[in-house]
Amino acid sequence: MHVDLNSCFASVEQQANPKLRGKPVAVAAYSTPSGCIIAPSVEAKECGVAVGMRVREGKVLCPGLIILTPDPAKYRNIHVQFRQLLTEYTDRITPKSIDEFVLDLEGYPAFSKGMMSVAGEIKRRIKKEIGEWLRVSVGIGPNRFLAKTAAGLHKPDGLDVIEKDNVEKVYGDLPLMKLCGIKANNVARLNHYDMFTTLDFYRAPMWKLKSAFASIVGYYWYLRLRGWEIDDVEFGRGSFGNSYALPDTRSTPEELSPLLMKLVEKAGSRMRKDGYRAKGIHLSLLYRNGCHWHRGMTVTEHLFDSRDIYKAAYRILCMSPYITPVANLAVSCFSLEKSLYTQQHLFSDMGKKENLIKAVDAINDKWGDFVITPGRMMGLSEKIVDRIAFGNIKELEAMILAPY
Amino acid sequence: MIQKISVPISVALVFNHKTRETKPVNVLWEGRSYRVTRIGLHHTVRQGRTLLHVFSVESELLFFRLVLNTESLSWTVEEIADGESN
Repeated sequence: MHVDLNSCFASVEQQANPKLRGKPVAVAAYSTPSGCIIAPSVEAKECGVAVGMRVREGKVLCPGLIILTPDPAKYRNIHVQFRQLLTEYTDRITPKSIDEFVLDLEGYPAFSKGMMSVAGEIKRRIKKEIGEWLRVSVGIGPNRFLAKTAAGLHKPDGLDVIEKDNVEKVYGDLPLMKLCGIKANNVARLNHYDMFTTLDFYRAPMWKLKSAFASIVGYYWYLRLRGWEIDDVEFGRGSFGNSYALPDTRSTPEELSPLLMKLVEKAGSRMRKDGYRAKGIHLSLLYRNGCHWHRGMTVTEHLFDSRDIYKAAYRILCMSPYITPVANLAVSCFSLEKSLYTQQHLFSDMGKKENLIKAVDAINDKWGDFVITPGRMMGLSEKIVDRIAFGNIKELEAMILAPY
Repeated sequence: MIQKISVPISVALVFNHKTRETKPVNVLWEGRSYRVTRIGLHHTVRQGRTLLHVFSVESELLFFRLVLNTESLSWTVEEIADGESN
């Protein structure tokens, strides 16, 4: 069963503020005209407002559009409440993002009630116990892919099942681009092999799909479309990263360094909290002229101190051949290793350094983020606000599993 | 219009021991009393070790985002809105 909270951020805002209900609302990264809309409400979607539009474009389509900035704490709280409610039905529950859950009910008492009955009950309980304005689309299928596809058939507030008896009919009504995981490049691949509709895709033999995708991915699609479960995979933590869309014009490494320090501090602090250290640093710069430059670097030892990570990131920043205004700055730490021990140095006391970092982190945890801040971040207190990553909720998981 | 602020505010909070419900029932703002007609959402957030309870409440005329600091037991209003766009 796939449960998807419709227009999540906007619906939660309408739940919190009843005066916004029934009105076109959009949550945007910034409320400025060039801010990116990340969640339009159902009413705003009806006016043509879509995810990815600029605020100014949304207001052209919908003059009364109410723009709000994100309130991540609110959304995380709703996510936790959803999770608590859903765990009453099964403990095999996988959050796919802040607003999506996959439930495997097989073998649990709730399963005997029938999946449709449980889905209806979940929808009713969400309205009663979490918020009357929150609507979820529920999809039921033999695998995750078909359950998600079913959840997307009738939004908002849908409840659909895809099974062997209706799968061909559902595929017959779905354009290729509507399938999760199939976008323009994959459509081009499929078209090249005479697959123009979802039914063509479904009916294609395995050899054709393997040729179209030129890899094992074709075999995966063959199974996925027929309801075999191949997406039940847990991916481990590969990196910790933070990014920032710059509202002002900064071009040189000197101008960018305070932002870089704050990004590194945020990523480093999260990494240490999860008990990791990193051997690789990656920097990505998207310029206002549309150019993109990125580079990764591995160092000889695992880093845990944000100051050391900053030094490596700044070195990469100085390698960029462009001195032009930056639109987006992103830094990530990769080649992670669990911090089981610290390699001591001959001429410096690593234990002392580690204890100092632990003490700073403990103070920031107790009194609030950035109570102790590096000098390089002076004057940056309001920049780089809290955000929820699309899809990635690994830290939210950690927060739920280890409450205060 | 949505106005983001951060100023102290007077709030009457009621706890019902039978239903185990705690909710703000009245807000005194700018010399005027607003009866809370509906609680849209109640959630919590941490600022360091301090736990904050955030109540998003509606009165007949206005919406208030009220924050209770459980360390100092003081109330702050962080947002006032009338449901119209800015």
